[in-house]
Amino acid sequence: MRFRACCWLLGMSVSTTTLAATPVFEIDIRDHLFEPAELVIPADTKVKLLVHNLDATPEEFESYELNREKVIMGGTTATIYIGPLPPGVYPYFGEFNPKTAQGIIRVQQGER
Amino acid sequence: MLDAVLLVLREVLEAALFVAILLALGRKLGMRGAWVWPALLIGLTGSWLLSAQAAAIADAFDGSGAEVLNALLFALAIGCFIIINWLLSDELWDPQQPHSTASQPPRPILDSLFGVIVAASMAREGSEVWIYFSAFGGQPDALLGSLMGGLIGTGLGVSIGVLVYYLFDFQPRRWFLPIYMGLATLVAGGLSMQLARQLMQMGWLDSGRPIWDSGWIVDERGWMGQFLNAAFGYDANPDATQLTCYVVVVLLVLAGIPLRRWRQRVQMEALG
Repeated sequence: MRFRACCWLLGMSVSTTTLAATPVFEIDIRDHLFEPAELVIPADTKVKLLVHNLDATPEEFESYELNREKVIMGGTTATIYIGPLPPGVYPYFGEFNPKTAQGIIRVQQGER
Repeated sequence: MLDAVLLVLREVLEAALFVAILLALGRKLGMRGAWVWPALLIGLTGSWLLSAQAAAIADAFDGSGAEVLNALLFALAIGCFIIINWLLSDELWDPQQPHSTASQPPRPILDSLFGVIVAASMAREGSEVWIYFSAFGGQPDALLGSLMGGLIGTGLGVSIGVLVYYLFDFQPRRWFLPIYMGLATLVAGGLSMQLARQLMQMGWLDSGRPIWDSGWIVDERGWMGQFLNAAFGYDANPDATQLTCYVVVVLLVLAGIPLRRWRQRVQMEALG
């Protein structure tokens, strides 16, 4: 009984949406710029972000507001899960090229 | 060049602070600090290896290999901080009285734990520095500028570490131990929030709404925010999952104190 209770508690904390269909959104890095510079995603939904680094050089996707940080080697694609998030504007930047590589993720109600 | 200064300083600061407080702790315990050079060497080599294999690591675990590795390195450091605090709990209750050799924390084990914490931190943070510099491979002028910036960033980070070391070294032993254990508790708690962030980033845990936003008091982008982030994993807008991890790890770190005290009492009563 105690073992079953522990399993239930553990299950509560582990992702409940991984197995469900997670919307996928994509961002490209080209010439040290993010494309699109503004991405709109749905509110209160966990989202899978694919960031394609089309440059030959590495970049680091970083956002204080999204609480995310990930190095993306040149010519590779990174997977980053974000959300569920409340509506709002969440800036992010490329830490290796912070002057040019900047973008925002706009979280809106009803966007699917 | 300024970008390189800030980036390298951010990456160097955590390891510099860990070396400083662990070296100071070792001195208070009468240790020679023999762990430092091997730990720095292993950390440096590890960081280079991780950067050389970064693409393969990132590809593993369905694109979450970097997060898995970082989570393991965070967990390793948290485990070491917990064990060190448990081993030090006896000293905390009676710091003035030298214990018998048998009851003192075993020095080789402490050496290893200190070394693992510093090497894991250096490998994790240092790999980003190597990757950053690799971006300037075909541009000698830009590479030179960023290397200069990196040197300045490293110098600043090491200087802050030296300052923190002497700040602790001047503390009398009876004050230092409680201060160290308090700091180590906060550090381990901060590492647990970063571990939780890795698990959320790879989708294993769900993110939640931030419980609060303390960005208006200490901005994560500012100097103080960067320092607190490097030392204590400061996060201006943590969510419930991160806070749960924080509380669990803090309780685990502190649990050694009452448990060791209770064991001491049982032993005293048994001796009559």
